[in-house]
Amino acid sequence: MNRRKGMLNDLEQDIRDHIELETQDNIARGMSPEEAHYAALRKFGNVARVQEETRAVWSSGWVEPFLQDIRLGLRMLPKSPGFTAVAILTLALGIGANTAIFSVINGVLLSPLPYKNPKQLVVIKEHDSLPNVLDIQRQTRAFSQGGGINVDKMDYIGATEPVQVRVGSINAGFLETLGVQPILGRIISSGEDVQGGPRLAMVSNHFWQNYLGSDPHAVDKTIQLGGNPYTVIGVMPASFAPPVEHADVFVSLIARDARAGAERDLHFLHTYWRLKEGVTLAQAQADMAAIDRRLAEQYPAEEKERKSQLVPLHEWLVGDVRSALLVLFGAVGLVLLIACANFASLLMMRAVAQRQELVIRAALGAGRGRLVRKTLTESLLLSVFGGAAGLLFAKWGTSLLLALRPEELARLSGIHMDTRVLLFVLVISVLTGIVFGMAPAWIAARSDVAEALKKSGRSTTASTMGHNIRKILVTSELAVALVLLVGAGLLIKGFSRLRSMNPGFNSANVMTMYLQLPTTRYGEIPKQTQFRRELLTRLNSLPGVRAAMVTDIPLGGNYVGHRFVIDGRPPVAVGGEPKVQTLSVMGDYFHVMQIPLRVGRDFTPLDREEQPLVAVVNEEMVREFLPHENPIGVRIRWAGDTGPPQWMTVIGVVADVKHLGLNQPTDPAVYTPFSQSDEAWRRLMILAIRARDTSPGLVEEVKRQIWSVDSQIPVSDVHAMDELIAVSLEQQRFNMLLLGLFAALALILAAVGIYGAMAYAVNQRTHEIGIRTALGAQRRDVLRLVMRDGTKIAIFGIASGIAGALALTRLMASLLFEVKPTDPATFAGVAILLALVALAACYIPARRAMRVDPMVALRYE
Amino acid sequence: MSTKEQRKRIGLLQGTLDLLILRTLLLGPTHGHAIAKAIEFNSDDVLQVEQGSLYPALHRLIKRRWISVEEGTSENNRRAKFYGLTAKGRRQLVVETSKWDKLAVAIARILRPAEPGAQQESKP
Repeated sequence: MNRRKGMLNDLEQDIRDHIELETQDNIARGMSPEEAHYAALRKFGNVARVQEETRAVWSSGWVEPFLQDIRLGLRMLPKSPGFTAVAILTLALGIGANTAIFSVINGVLLSPLPYKNPKQLVVIKEHDSLPNVLDIQRQTRAFSQGGGINVDKMDYIGATEPVQVRVGSINAGFLETLGVQPILGRIISSGEDVQGGPRLAMVSNHFWQNYLGSDPHAVDKTIQLGGNPYTVIGVMPASFAPPVEHADVFVSLIARDARAGAERDLHFLHTYWRLKEGVTLAQAQADMAAIDRRLAEQYPAEEKERKSQLVPLHEWLVGDVRSALLVLFGAVGLVLLIACANFASLLMMRAVAQRQELVIRAALGAGRGRLVRKTLTESLLLSVFGGAAGLLFAKWGTSLLLALRPEELARLSGIHMDTRVLLFVLVISVLTGIVFGMAPAWIAARSDVAEALKKSGRSTTASTMGHNIRKILVTSELAVALVLLVGAGLLIKGFSRLRSMNPGFNSANVMTMYLQLPTTRYGEIPKQTQFRRELLTRLNSLPGVRAAMVTDIPLGGNYVGHRFVIDGRPPVAVGGEPKVQTLSVMGDYFHVMQIPLRVGRDFTPLDREEQPLVAVVNEEMVREFLPHENPIGVRIRWAGDTGPPQWMTVIGVVADVKHLGLNQPTDPAVYTPFSQSDEAWRRLMILAIRARDTSPGLVEEVKRQIWSVDSQIPVSDVHAMDELIAVSLEQQRFNMLLLGLFAALALILAAVGIYGAMAYAVNQRTHEIGIRTALGAQRRDVLRLVMRDGTKIAIFGIASGIAGALALTRLMASLLFEVKPTDPATFAGVAILLALVALAACYIPARRAMRVDPMVALRYE
Repeated sequence: MSTKEQRKRIGLLQGTLDLLILRTLLLGPTHGHAIAKAIEFNSDDVLQVEQGSLYPALHRLIKRRWISVEEGTSENNRRAKFYGLTAKGRRQLVVETSKWDKLAVAIARILRPAEPGAQQESKP
């Protein structure tokens, strides 16, 4: 290396000496000094090329010139700071947005689930009961392990105030199926998971840290859950959580609640199964169908309509989110395309501006390959810088995504920048640099030296060609932007439709909270009724407050359905009766929620225990089951009741309520008074409170009232009803916001693109415009001249964009609510918006063109 | 660089210049201009090297360690680089020369099957 440095340092001097000696020789031969010098130069040849070739002798392979190009590029970039900043920023936006979405996709769709051999895990879509789960465990030939879980809340006494913790009621097999190893102690064995078995608790790492002080000797300690002592036998690792059922404590279902555990038709466990080695999903599904048939034959009353569908766990988890994410990824890919088109367009503009330099380099002996390499290196440098800046955007964008995350993206916790994301950025940057640096490099390579020198760099063929390519680029940018805008427009329209859906109640000024009565003191219905009545009396005596109770609040996520029988109808086979949603209420529930009463009457305090049984139904119930009769006075009862039939008389009809979500249909529903209910196991209730003032002070006051009735009742899930509506719209809002953001980005980039192209064209034509003005063209004519070009681009771009959007928006049909993917109003609106933006972007350079002073323009040459 | 001049001149085969430089330096170390002059003079001005192309060739030979370079003083008392043959270069010259002879004979046989002394044809 040193040898080389020494040799090359003196090269210039050596050459000069050489030429000098030759000159002197020539003079000695009788030439004039001037003649002698030129003859010597001629004889020597191209000095620059000699120097370059000599340097090439010492450089090793391609690395040397490549590094040289990079050094040159690094020196050149800060010399045109505007160009460099715009190019890097453009790419950074495109790459950053892509990386952010890619890291979400990477975390949610691509990364394996955090369980042992996650590919073997499947879920049964339908919930099931413990006796059925045990039967499947015994009969299956496809599963090696399996188990179910149901999460509910129990009060835990031992913290500073009574708290509710999430308790997963499981059977032995659940934790083994997920393959978790406790960090302390052990998990429950099947021998302990029996009726009358010990009360054992396996606690989550979170519970262990927060309530057991990370005690290394926590195993064998006793904790109080729901009024009963449980012995801690194991602590789970911090990395472990069931796929959806996040729980603080896991206990055996049958040991905790022998009655609920033994009911075959109480389908409330969500079950996970592990396929045996080599068993396919189809085989397992066939095996499952056989088990279903046997259970249906054996227990026709409960299991007649049994049909268990197996779904791979991963698919089941990401199912809903997948299509949204893929649409977003497609959208953000289009944004990158626009950014790249802008980038290429910038590079070409620069290549044309630098033609003079390139031509001179070529004249001095730079090879064509070398020039192409130099241009490519520059675009690579820019794209890599763009990628690096894009990483910053992505980091920021990912935290934005996390802040916006809808419930459905539950796995978002696994999102971070890993090597795969970094690799993605690297590949995308380098590809961008090479692919989109190609066009300008091609222009550089095509430069005909002699031709270019003759024309002294003004509008030559290559630059017209470049201009045409730029027009195509800008046209495609507009087309792609239109596709994105249409997509965003459709989502926005769907979202506003969704928002304006009437939920069936008035959510304003309503607070809700969740109460659960401990089994030990409230096992019997009269006790529960007494508590409810006492509490409501106290709450309703507060000024400006109206309180009521319901089993499941709309949009709260819980749903209970029962089969029922209508009096006087031909009998239906056992197990085949229709199902309705079942709710119990107390207090003026329909008034508090402002659910309109359509026909008949509301419940009164007189509709209570030992009085005739009554029910209020919703309109959907009437439409579906009682369409041709007066619903008032119809008698219904729950199916499967033993003993004398308990007929309930329908006394009123209320409006439909969107219980499962604003975009979900309403099921037929039956409301009954809490005090006439016989479901002693449902010791839970949700307080709905309408108050003029729903500040935290009200919540505190309500809590005080609750605890003055019973100081050991935990209160949880305090939400304003408005908040529940907002949460139910999160996924749609997420889709809309992101696609809207991308569309806005696309619009800006496309506007910059068309502006750049037009501004450049005007600049190139200054001379021509000057001549036209000198020859008497009016400003109006000049304006028309420039705008005509821009309008043509805009029309082509918008037309091809509409064609593209018609083809592509079908893919997002599943994300739309009550909007067709080809909604004409959206298409028209977006096309007009884009046309206006494009024309505005052209107008600025056009106005500049109008102001061209012919004298200045002509002299400019 | 007019076309007329180009017609009279005989271009050099790839690698031939290296051989000529080595042969010239066999007489002793000298500087770049002198090497060019010597090649021209010894070939009766027929082999007109574009003098510049000497330099990449010199550097190539230095890199291969066939010639060495040291500071010296030229005939008009100026500091200049003197190039000299190394032992390795000397051995290489022998190899290259015999290779060249074989090549020249072979090509001459192909071009002038009847006249074995075809080498002289290239001289005017």
